[in-house]
Amino acid sequence: MKVTTVLFVLAALLVVAIGANAQEMTKEQWQQEINKQTQVRNDLSAKVKALAADVARMQNESTQLDADYQKCLDELYALVGSDQAKAAAYRAEIEAAENNAGELMRLSDADLVARADDVSALAAKVKSLWENKLSLIPEFWDRLTALNDKVKSLQGTLANQVQMYTVGTWAKDRDCLWNISKKKDIYNNAWLWPKIWQGNRDQIKDPDVIQKGQKLKIPKGNELDAEEKAAAKRYYGKKGGA
Amino acid sequence: MRKLNRTVTAFALAFLFAGSGAFVGCSSSPDEAQMKQLNDLNEEVASLEKEVAAAEQQKSALDREIAEKNAKLKKCNDDQAIVKQRLAK
Repeated sequence: MKVTTVLFVLAALLVVAIGANAQEMTKEQWQQEINKQTQVRNDLSAKVKALAADVARMQNESTQLDADYQKCLDELYALVGSDQAKAAAYRAEIEAAENNAGELMRLSDADLVARADDVSALAAKVKSLWENKLSLIPEFWDRLTALNDKVKSLQGTLANQVQMYTVGTWAKDRDCLWNISKKKDIYNNAWLWPKIWQGNRDQIKDPDVIQKGQKLKIPKGNELDAEEKAAAKRYYGKKGGA
Repeated sequence: MRKLNRTVTAFALAFLFAGSGAFVGCSSSPDEAQMKQLNDLNEEVASLEKEVAAAEQQKSALDREIAEKNAKLKKCNDDQAIVKQRLAK
């Protein structure tokens, strides 16, 4: 029994000693690790140095590009007799016009008709912006072209709006086609009455007879077209013959 | 019984021999200063790896920046050519 115990203790000690020895690094392993890591450190140091040189070169290149770009811009604006400050002011004017156009584009047709003067003012503003030589620069040229399209679209929408007139009474308003046509906010020209007649043939059979409350379309234009002239001629012919 | 004692003695001798081998192994381990040297080296390597990563990141950001600036400069030169053409008309 005693011998067995001694054997067991000895065996256990041996196992512990071997295990402990196995976990520790030998000098050879240490040397190998030192050599390996020294090589890695040297490689990395060289890489850091090369990268730092690249970064410095690229920073210089970037700074040079900034200078080249500023020089190019100065030359570009000088071509049209301007400079960066004037171009910035011009850019702000275009932006304001773009905002104005955007606002007008969002209006309903009825609201747009009410602001027809603003459309005219915008068209005039765009025209004046085109007159500046800075408009030759593509950045501004493209924006002004887009603004032109918007102004045309707004003007087209206004042109397509048909003005309406509700007929009043003869006693109070003296409303007849002649007098309606004579009104300042209609044609300001009594001789254009056949336009109203021809524009409302669906509801006016006899131009001498219109009814209170009738809603008449007021066609656009400031002179009679061939059809309207022919209708007027027929009317006066009948009147003359009557 | 005597035979058993001989066995024990032989086993104990064998253990001592093996144990001495283990102690010899211990004595060839790197000392504390050498381990510190290795640890310092490992730390230096880790720090350099971070430096490399940061520099590479900075380089690729500069790459993009330069490409953008080159494109802007090219557009400016193109614009100059267009304006000259328009002025000539």
